[in-house]
Amino acid sequence: MSPPAISGAKEPLRPLKRLALHTTSTCAAQATKYGKCIAASYLDVSKDMCKEEFAEFRSCVRQAMKKR
Amino acid sequence: MSFLRFVNCTPHLTRTSRAFAANSAKLPAPSLNTIGPYLVFDRHVKTIQKDRAALRDGGERSRMVDYLRDEVADRMMERFLDIKRKFDTVLDLGSGAGHFSKLLEVDKVKKSIMLESSNALLNRDPDSEYEVEVHRIHGDEENILHSVGRGSLEAVVTCLSLHWVNDLPGALVQIREALQSDGLFLGAMFGGDTLFELRTALQLAEVEREGGISPHVSPMTDTRDVSNLLGRAGFTMLTVDIDEVKIAYPSMWELMEDLQDMGESNAVFGRRDTIQRDTLSAASAIYKELHGAEDGSIPATFQIIYLIGWKPAPTQPKPLERGAGKVNLKEVL
Repeated sequence: MSPPAISGAKEPLRPLKRLALHTTSTCAAQATKYGKCIAASYLDVSKDMCKEEFAEFRSCVRQAMKKR
Repeated sequence: MSFLRFVNCTPHLTRTSRAFAANSAKLPAPSLNTIGPYLVFDRHVKTIQKDRAALRDGGERSRMVDYLRDEVADRMMERFLDIKRKFDTVLDLGSGAGHFSKLLEVDKVKKSIMLESSNALLNRDPDSEYEVEVHRIHGDEENILHSVGRGSLEAVVTCLSLHWVNDLPGALVQIREALQSDGLFLGAMFGGDTLFELRTALQLAEVEREGGISPHVSPMTDTRDVSNLLGRAGFTMLTVDIDEVKIAYPSMWELMEDLQDMGESNAVFGRRDTIQRDTLSAASAIYKELHGAEDGSIPATFQIIYLIGWKPAPTQPKPLERGAGKVNLKEVL
């Protein structure tokens, strides 16, 4: 018995795979900006410290997730 | 298998939020006021996770992520070969898919008894992949005396399994009890620095997005405690050393997927059922920024503690009595 193909080219990506793709490559610039904001003071992080940066990142990911 | 199919039928939305979340606890989180051994890990859930991981895509995915365990088994074998002794049988405790047992050779060991709590993982690979004779026991690593007799074993080896044991001191005592006198215990386990990048990224993301932290990466044994634990369990002639395996991944997502396929998903009591999508996205960005390498990959550290201990026997070499030295060290040095 041959193993089933793990992911065919035609098969649409699973939502989580798409999230992974968009957070790391499609919205890489926004992700870096958010990451830099955290890294600037990672020893003293508080809630919503990088709210604006994250909102930008989030809206980019949301836009990308909407497109198929 | 039927459960796997059921998971595949769930609507997409549910899967997005659940895919990296651990299954919810079957028991309530233990209160700090209860008496009894430390309960940190939900071993029932751990068994389910391992079974599922071993069955995913007919075992293909599980085989694909053997790289870490095979590497550590290989390094542990070096230490095993340093011991100039031949064994009739060894017990491979928490064997998984037999990563260590597969490396055993007939001129050193005749038979390996594999003991593992996940039935699917235990029987993943056929006997033909082992050079030595294997005997598989589906049993609990925390209660090995239920599966093997006292004083019945020449050697116990364990490769990357003890980090899911709740009562580590108790498990070590049981191992010593199961050994014959002058029996060998050789083990490899994950140490405290394991996955510190993932731990910190998730913590920072949770604090910044949600304002608090929850357990995602297990607490692990501190390297400094291991020799004390072995001593307390009654082993002698201890050797403990630390090693690191660093693996580069394209991003946090691949790391998490591989951990899941290894059956190493979160199984800490009191964990949250879900991780928010935003928190995960934030963690991915933080991981890359804080720990990422220049080539765009992210490293994951696995700290491995190797432990060797012997069950005491009168024939073993002992330190001489104090003051018995004849040579003055001052003259030598």
